[in-house]
Amino acid sequence: MGESGGIKKGLAEILELPKDIILDLPKIIMIGNLQIYVENHKGILEYTDNRIRINTKSGILCIMGKNLMLKNIVIEEIIIVGEINQVEFID
Amino acid sequence: MVLKLWNYIRGYVVIRVQGLTLEKFINMCTVRNIYLWDVKRVGNTVLEAKIGIKGFKDLRKIVKKLGCKVSIRKKQGYPFWIYKLKKRKMLLIGAFFCFLLLIFISTFIFSIEIAGNENVETAEIVYKLNTLGLKPGTNRYFINLRKLENQLLLDMNRLAWVGIEIKGVKAKIEVVEKIAPPSRIDKNTPCNVVAKKNGVIEKIIARNGDAVVEKGDIVKKGDILISGIVQLEPIGGSMLVHSYGDVYAKTYYEATKSKGLTEIKKEKTGQKLVKRILSLGSIELSLNKGKVPYEFYIIEKKSKRPLQWRKIGLPVELITEEYYEVNKIKITIDEMEAKNYVHKRALDDILEEIPFEAEILNTQVDFVAKDGVLYGKVTVEVLENIAEQRILQIGED
Repeated sequence: MGESGGIKKGLAEILELPKDIILDLPKIIMIGNLQIYVENHKGILEYTDNRIRINTKSGILCIMGKNLMLKNIVIEEIIIVGEINQVEFID
Repeated sequence: MVLKLWNYIRGYVVIRVQGLTLEKFINMCTVRNIYLWDVKRVGNTVLEAKIGIKGFKDLRKIVKKLGCKVSIRKKQGYPFWIYKLKKRKMLLIGAFFCFLLLIFISTFIFSIEIAGNENVETAEIVYKLNTLGLKPGTNRYFINLRKLENQLLLDMNRLAWVGIEIKGVKAKIEVVEKIAPPSRIDKNTPCNVVAKKNGVIEKIIARNGDAVVEKGDIVKKGDILISGIVQLEPIGGSMLVHSYGDVYAKTYYEATKSKGLTEIKKEKTGQKLVKRILSLGSIELSLNKGKVPYEFYIIEKKSKRPLQWRKIGLPVELITEEYYEVNKIKITIDEMEAKNYVHKRALDDILEEIPFEAEILNTQVDFVAKDGVLYGKVTVEVLENIAEQRILQIGED
């Protein structure tokens, strides 16, 4: 995030606007460990049975688990199902 | 579920992509707005995914760019099904003709059902109908039901009414029989007069023939009262005549009825339990659990059918069962009342049997109480005509 990112962040806080839209950040929703929903991604970097790496504005989102499957993939969102063990951001 | 159905209607293919940069393949698909779903990694360099038909066509450019191999594993959905069917036109035509044939066959009558006949043989009616043109295998549009009804009535004089109705492949025939009038014996036919019932002869008026019984004689049913064989005294020998006459006799009618002298009456205590049952077709689902906590109870059932219009409606029924607790109370019935009740019921029975023109001479009632039950025996003495003509069997003589 550069300088403009800082301004935007401040603006979002003042105006109480959703940060995922203003800052173009991913919105991640998990349902237990069964499903993960990533909105606003920037493409898939790696996809295997037990590891998926997704590029986002906040860094690389790494999802580890078993029998992972891309249930749905479009330009805005990804839905991953399977047994999710670990979700982490790697810079 | 809805999505799956939608995908099925749109049609999709299961593809297998082989290449080294599969992530890139997915990304490119998303960028180009090609919708992929159920993406599965099968092997290191192999990936399986579902894709729409239009998307599959757009895939070619990506494949060329990336240099990966795409093969179709399965084609699924309605468009493929239609495509297959288009290729097999004869199948479609066959199905259509099969349907037509079914409709055509259902216009034929498969079975005949007859109802309402008691004395006339079913086989006889069926035979008659067959000769008139209604039999299994006849087309329902080739017969005129009203005409057939009339013809059957004309041909079978024992029937009073005939109604033919065709329901699906079944012909339902309803008949009403004529009640035959008592057979009259021709005046020139020799006959006897016999007793219709058991009785004691009171008066005998022989208008023709020889009276063979006297006043005070006890006769049984079928005994000859006036003989048609007349003895010719001066000449010797006999002559056959058509005998007739009136024979009055005392006959007895009896009936026994009973009634318990104690009665158990159920009285509601005011306690009530309501159970609701939902019935779907033949399945019944109880909405309440538990047993009925009362020892004695009365059940009142009510049922509601939602969304009912005339006879058409959902096979859903909501049954409300109300269980009322009752106490059983023993009541002793007044003897006079019981006697009256028994007498009346017995008399009602007897009066149904006694012919209209008979004269009631005497009635007698006996009551016996036994084990808390009152038995009443009613005997009615009647004077009536018991004469009945019967043709003489000449061969026997």
